[in-house]
Formats: sequence, structure tokens, C-alpha cells
Amino acid sequence: MLKCREVVHQADALLAGELSGRERFALRMHIIICRHCRRYVRQFRHLLRAIPRMHGQASENEVRRVMTALKNADKSMGGQP
Amino acid sequence: MSAEAVSEGIPDIQALKRGDDSAFSDLVRFHHRTLMAVATAIVGIDDAEEVVQNAWIKAHKALPGFGGRSALRTWLTRIVINEARMLLRKSRREVSLQLDDDQHPLADRFREGGHWSKPPVTWHDESPDGLLMQSELADCLSRLLLSMPASQRAMLELRDAGGLEFDEICNELTISASNARVLLHRARTQLFKLVDHYQETGEC
Repeated sequence: MLKCREVVHQADALLAGELSGRERFALRMHIIICRHCRRYVRQFRHLLRAIPRMHGQASENEVRRVMTALKNADKSMGGQP
Repeated sequence: MSAEAVSEGIPDIQALKRGDDSAFSDLVRFHHRTLMAVATAIVGIDDAEEVVQNAWIKAHKALPGFGGRSALRTWLTRIVINEARMLLRKSRREVSLQLDDDQHPLADRFREGGHWSKPPVTWHDESPDGLLMQSELADCLSRLLLSMPASQRAMLELRDAGGLEFDEICNELTISASNARVLLHRARTQLFKLVDHYQETGEC
């Protein structure tokens, strides 16, 4: 029987689809009977989906700075391809 | 292009390829901070801005040839990594991601037999949007990222925020695939622990 600690260690591979059929089966069996691990895997999955957006959007100032530097770089290229 | 599509960060590829300034501004708005985090993880905070600025210039030039085989975020992250490596080469620095001796972030949450001693609490609003909307939690997360071992943070930014595959990360930076996985796992579980603690106590 899989231990809860092992579920935590394998959750990354589970969500990445990297477990073998047998490993996935063992993990699913554990999750059916263990509500703590069920909660861990569910909340962990949501957290991973939030990470790509965790840095938020750039401010108008930051955007302007990038766009200005872009224009200057274009000019300094002197129209070369 | 609908307003929702813009706020969701779905890019208008055709407008970008035409060289539309407002579409490019949207692209910058949506990805700049993540690219800064990626660059910071590799070259450090002092050089990150230069790296990302050069990457935007390269990306702007290369956009008409963007094939759409990978996500734009991943494509941009690759350009940032190339710029970062060029800068490191110039200054004769090297990045190698080392495994640290830290214990597992959730080690104290298990009993000796491997069962939970302190299981995770139920998060109030566990959806990704719900997590992102809590500004205090976002502050806690940024502080945690700063205090994390640099190797762990680099893996989290490259793989989870930047969307690069393990193979690619291992090719670009000196690290084995198994160490890369351990570092990423530790970084992620540190975030989990923080969110769990925040949900329980309302504090970092």
C-alpha cells in the first residue's frame, strides 16, 4: 500500500502523465480511500495551473519602457533588414 | 480580437505578425514580468532587465517567422534564455543548478510511517483564478520566491512559468534530468506549503 508521503512525491509525475499504468493505478487506489491525499492532489493541480500567471501583468510604465527601447533599436538599425 | 481574449493573454497572432504596436504592447504586458523572473533566475536581478529588453527586440524582429509550433510564452522564454547565455558568456560566468541539502518542504507534515500528521487544509477558493486574485497571497508568494534557493527558483520559472520541457532545460543549463525534477518538486511543494499556511492562518 502506497504511503501518503509517496503520493506527495509522485503527484508531479502523475499530473505530468509520466507514471506507468501500474504506478497510476496504485496512486488512484490510495486517493480513493485517503481524503487528505485526494485534497492534496486536487489543490496541487490548481496551484500548478496558477503558476504561469503568478507574476501578474506588467504596468503601463513597464510596457512603455519596452516599446520605447524597441523604437530606438529600430531607428539605430537604420532600416536595415 | 475581444477584450476577454486580451485580458486572458490570448495573442492576436495575425496582428502581431503584421507588426501591430498595440498587439505587441499586449504581448509585453502579459509576459514581461514572467520573462523578467526567468532572466533573474539565470543572470541575477542586475542584468535581467538588459537581457529581457534585448529579448523583446529579437522577438519583435523574429515574430513574422513564428511558426506557432510552441506556445508564445515558451518561444519568448527560449529567446530570453539565449540572451541570458550570451551575456553570461561575455562576462565569463556560468550557471550550474546545484541540488541543495534542504530537507523536503513538507517533511514535518508526515508521521514516521509516512502518513499525514498535519494534512493540508481545505483552501477557501482553490481555483487558479481564486488563488491569483488574493493580492496578499501574491505578495507572500513573491517573497517566498526571493528567499528560495536559486536553483529551485530557476527550475520553477523555466518549467512552470516559462513552459520549457525538462529536456530543453537540461540542455541549456548544466543539470541532470533527475536533479531537475527534484529541484522543481521542492520548489512546487514550498509554494504549496505557503498557500496551505496562508489559507489556514491568513498570514505568510
